[in-house]
Amino acid sequence: MMKKLIALLPLLFVHTALADINIFACEPEWASLSEELGGEHVTVFSATTGLQDPHYIQARPSLIAKARRADLLVCTGAELETGWLPLLQQKSGNAAIQSGAPGYFMATNFVRLSEVPTVLDRSQGDVHAAGNPHIQTSPVNILNVAQALTKRLQALDGANAALYEQRWQDFNQRWQLAINKWQQQAAPLKGVSVVVQHNSWGYLFDWLGLNKVAVLEVKAGVPPTVDDLNTVLNKLKVTPANIVIHAAYQPPRATDWLVDKTGITKVTLPFTIGGNDESTNLFTLFDDTIQRLLDANK
Amino acid sequence: MKPLKLTLLIAAVLAPASPVFADDLSDLKAEITQMRADYEQRINQLEQRLAVNESSTTELNDTIKNAPPAPIAKISTSKNSFNPAISMVLNGGFNQYQNNPEDYALDGFALQGEGELGKEGFSLGESELTVSANIDQALYGQATIAIHEHEGETEVEIEEAFIESLGLGNGLTARAGRFFAPIGYLNQRHVHAWNFADAPLIYRGLFGNQLSTDGLKLAYVLPTDQLFEVGATVGAGDSYPGGGDHSGIGDWLIYAKTGGDIGIESSWQASMSHWQSNPEDREYSGGHSHDAESATSALFNGDTDISNVSLVYKWAKNGNFRQQNFSLIGEYFLLNDDGAITHGDEFANYDGKQYGGYVEGIYQFNPQWRSGLRYDWVGSDHKASDSELLADAGLDGQYSNPQRSSVMVEYLPSEFSRIRAQVNYDQSYSDDDLQLLLQYTVSLGAHGAHSY
Repeated sequence: MMKKLIALLPLLFVHTALADINIFACEPEWASLSEELGGEHVTVFSATTGLQDPHYIQARPSLIAKARRADLLVCTGAELETGWLPLLQQKSGNAAIQSGAPGYFMATNFVRLSEVPTVLDRSQGDVHAAGNPHIQTSPVNILNVAQALTKRLQALDGANAALYEQRWQDFNQRWQLAINKWQQQAAPLKGVSVVVQHNSWGYLFDWLGLNKVAVLEVKAGVPPTVDDLNTVLNKLKVTPANIVIHAAYQPPRATDWLVDKTGITKVTLPFTIGGNDESTNLFTLFDDTIQRLLDANK
Repeated sequence: MKPLKLTLLIAAVLAPASPVFADDLSDLKAEITQMRADYEQRINQLEQRLAVNESSTTELNDTIKNAPPAPIAKISTSKNSFNPAISMVLNGGFNQYQNNPEDYALDGFALQGEGELGKEGFSLGESELTVSANIDQALYGQATIAIHEHEGETEVEIEEAFIESLGLGNGLTARAGRFFAPIGYLNQRHVHAWNFADAPLIYRGLFGNQLSTDGLKLAYVLPTDQLFEVGATVGAGDSYPGGGDHSGIGDWLIYAKTGGDIGIESSWQASMSHWQSNPEDREYSGGHSHDAESATSALFNGDTDISNVSLVYKWAKNGNFRQQNFSLIGEYFLLNDDGAITHGDEFANYDGKQYGGYVEGIYQFNPQWRSGLRYDWVGSDHKASDSELLADAGLDGQYSNPQRSSVMVEYLPSEFSRIRAQVNYDQSYSDDDLQLLLQYTVSLGAHGAHSY
């Protein structure tokens, strides 16, 4: 028995040597990016799916167990995960993923955030003090994050630095070509007026030049009241919009109400990977997002 | 030989064809010119497309260049740079009872301090102030001060005040100070995070609502795919049902916890815990004196242990808790007392058991509305050599089976506020009581995180 166990020991070490970095990604977009950049040198776990609201995640036992064994957290930051990630860090007893450690990577630290509130007052809803954290809606942001994440992977796993560099170059090239393609495809969307259910599309609109006319959820995190919706309705009489957008993880009640009242075209965008069946990775996420916007704009 | 063969072959091939070519030489020329024109056109088209691509690449490069650079300095994401995160929970309400709340008793249990019913009519509940921050690279600190009114006087209580290791590594976490004992499920949650306005009867009976420890805690999370956590605490042993001054370790506790997911929509957690102490002069302040002259309380000396099992199950459609979710929570406690009760100069050998549990189901049907049902029950079995002393201690009424059923509805205007209405049908003692509890709870300041 003992001999058998001793014979198995080397296997244990071989096993740990196979996956160099254990990555805990808070959202599917960062899980996918980690896979793109890390390849076979990383094992990636995504804490959420595209159909879950990342603000409201339970610090479940399974997440604590995953955080316990993670070498690197790849999350959005900017308070998006403030309701659950600090608990995972605290309860995991894992030194590698504490705030400020090399294993703590917050994507929003590498992008300039827009929509930083000038007044911090909760009467305005659940405002994010650091700015809009939903940076994954623009591929340009993703490129910035990818570059920073590559450096982090290289710092954590120096032995494979050259491989990460190679993967980054490859991704960079493919991603830039893809951005080119998307920009050409989305040219007809420039200047199109849209209404959004939750104010989480700022980066996408800035990138494609869409014009946001109104937000249904006036106060972030608070479902709109009938008064709120009527205000939007009146606003639309003055400045009409072509499309109303909501994310797949949100119930479309408010959006449907507006469709019912105005006959505006509704678009359900995936928001992140897994938001619908088509969005299986970062590339198809934007393929699908743009296709849906184009279809709605016809 | 070879060159000759080749020449012959070429001659043979060309021989029949050459007259045709000779005849249509001008056709051939025209064809070539046509082909050249075609190719030139295609090359032009390609060049144009390349130019478009190049210009858009330059454009894109500009976008990327103009895109804000990665700000390297912004690494700290502490909640409020160097200021600690501060949050305050305010609550208040209105209680209505059919019976006189002064008469309230829980048969077989001696109620302590906060174990009694809340004030009838309008009242201000507990106001909790929580301050927390990373102290340095190694430590985190948190304090919760509760301020409440008790019989006309304002009382300030340190609910929790502890320091904790910040990622000690290898799954270990150490804590020192005052903290809620890791016994059961509800005990470690602050009152404002409970699903009902009052504590389950067993919490009320055993701990006077909550058990806290002044001491040390060590937790270890195993490096497994499914969560396995084990831990232990040692403490002063002075908080009820402990008691007295201990020069060394006054109480200790061990616990084990496990849990995981069932698919994407469900998750669960199960725990077992065991607490032991040897109370010195545990005071039954809630007891009633049969002897008008004796103003002293009955006292317990001996050994006490409490065991707990808890089970939590949660479900949300697509695992998206924001919209609809359901929780089912159940716990069971068993306390064993073995020792003696004294009252003045009276003495009795005493062997007691107290037990009970609760089951609650909470359904949140949309982001702003939740509802819940709870059933809780307790029981006891006390053996004393002089049963009069049981009455002195407030442990009488052991053969009844106190129980209660509760229903609540909550309206959540936002993540930071809650209005709750709760109705209890309470059978804690001989007179059944119908209770109405209305309550608001709000949270100001730092965005707190709530554990599973």
